[in-house]
Amino acid sequence: MTAKWIGKRMVMGTIVLLIVSFLSFFIMHAAPGDPATAFYGGNAQTLTTAEKERIAQAFALDRPVLVQYGVWLAETLTGNLGYSSKEGRPVATILMERLPNTLLLFSVTLFFIIIGSIWLGTVAGMKEGSLWDRGLSTFSIATSSIPAFWLGILFISFFAVKLGIFPSSGTGEIGGDGGLVDKLRHLIMPAAVLILTHVGIYARFLQESIKAESRHYYVMVARANGVAEKEIRQGILRNASMPYLNYIGMTIPSFFGGSIIVESLFSWSGLGQLTVKAAMTKDFPLLMGGILWTGLIVVISLFIIDLLMYALNPKLRKGGVR
Amino acid sequence: MKTRKSLLFWYAILGFIVLMTVFASVVAPYGPNDMNMDNVYGAPGDGHLLGTDHLGRDVFSRLLAGGKVTLTVASVSVLLSLVLGVLYGGISGYIGGFIDTIMMRLLEAFITIPSLIIILAFQTVMQGGMWGMALIIGLTGWLVTARIVRSEFLRLKEAEFVQMANMFGTPMWKIIIGHLLRNSVPAIFVVTLFNFAGAIFIEVSLSFLGIGIPPAIPSWGNMLYYAQNDILIGAWWIGLFPGIMIFITILAINFIGEGLKNPQRR
Repeated sequence: MTAKWIGKRMVMGTIVLLIVSFLSFFIMHAAPGDPATAFYGGNAQTLTTAEKERIAQAFALDRPVLVQYGVWLAETLTGNLGYSSKEGRPVATILMERLPNTLLLFSVTLFFIIIGSIWLGTVAGMKEGSLWDRGLSTFSIATSSIPAFWLGILFISFFAVKLGIFPSSGTGEIGGDGGLVDKLRHLIMPAAVLILTHVGIYARFLQESIKAESRHYYVMVARANGVAEKEIRQGILRNASMPYLNYIGMTIPSFFGGSIIVESLFSWSGLGQLTVKAAMTKDFPLLMGGILWTGLIVVISLFIIDLLMYALNPKLRKGGVR
Repeated sequence: MKTRKSLLFWYAILGFIVLMTVFASVVAPYGPNDMNMDNVYGAPGDGHLLGTDHLGRDVFSRLLAGGKVTLTVASVSVLLSLVLGVLYGGISGYIGGFIDTIMMRLLEAFITIPSLIIILAFQTVMQGGMWGMALIIGLTGWLVTARIVRSEFLRLKEAEFVQMANMFGTPMWKIIIGHLLRNSVPAIFVVTLFNFAGAIFIEVSLSFLGIGIPPAIPSWGNMLYYAQNDILIGAWWIGLFPGIMIFITILAINFIGEGLKNPQRR
């Protein structure tokens, strides 16, 4: 059962990646100029006509688009993403340098968002009608209406320009040793912006699902039979965590979109900033690589969340719905 | 009672913003692109209500004109995604069965792709200006609408009055439009509102990055693009006001959406 379920999820993830790769391929295809030039970027000017011909043949550029896609896909699967047209280095190498930064920002913010929203949501959800309950609803709507990058601008003008506590941008001091402390100092502002603008909605979702769960009949029965309040809470929380996890999974793509903007604002040298830069400079190989890797990260995180849900929910494990 | 009042309040706010931007050319004291090099980085007050920017353009006038652009892009894209979503969701929900399964699996796959990245990529190739922007946001924004329409259709299809209509031999298009679509309107309206907020977010974010609306056209996002540097030299008003406008607009939309959503649930 488990193997079958995991297999199904993997097929799903593969389909997503295929669509992403298809899209990114067609972007390259639609790009002005001939694909060989786009692929070799800045180095293309040094190519002779004969060499261009050879490249065209090697990449099947003289054949139909779908064949080209197949050849490109095969090449991509072996890890060859081409060369950046601005830097002239292999795309895979550049992406590899950026990956740790993105993963750091992503995991730190997601960690605090989850901890914070569980705390806020539980407190607010368990006391229905209290000040916490109503306050959180308003707070979450208000914070989720703030554009994250604008909050970032305000933070920069206040904390970096006026007070000078935190560095305004970058991932580390120029000429610094690039140590952990230095990196964390640069991490604080982008992470804070992302956490502040996201923690509210997640907390609110948990709060709503706890409230809905508390109204169920089994809670009343348990209470009437004198089950300890602590145990009831645990039960409610466990059941309410299902839709909550599902919600996190559903919003991860858009969360990722938001973090791209914040990365660019703070010049946090991660995948998102790289992708934006590649889009602005029309560095197509790099852009495609960035898109593919972002898709991969999203698919993997969704897979992890699915696994978590699978482990927590007996209904899924015993082959119920879906 | 309380929710009604607050709903009215937010309607008024949103209506005011929309009216101000629609009649931007009448209300604004200056043209949005009128430059005055003698008065760059002018602080708020003194003839310019909200100050001037790095080219001496009046921030207040640009704010109104920019709102027009931002809200137009958002509206057009939302209309487009509404049509696409209703069509896709409607077909999937009405036909059901095997086709529904396939269509929904495909939808799930699309939803996992961060739409901002796709839009980013398309922008580099198309560079279509304002309408191109609206088109791309619309093309990527219909997924949630489709899901809602589909689940509404599935639910309503089983409802007694629809079964009855079927029994009486009501033509298919009448059932689809008169019963299924008409009864899904409240749900569709709410999701469209949230889509609208989302579209504003996307336009603003992309223009802020400098790959959205071309710089020649003022929009709230474009204004923030320059504000990044201006704020470093202390001209806070250039960045503050567009942000506040975006914030209030989205806040109003969100509160209206929440207010409309809740009574229907039960």
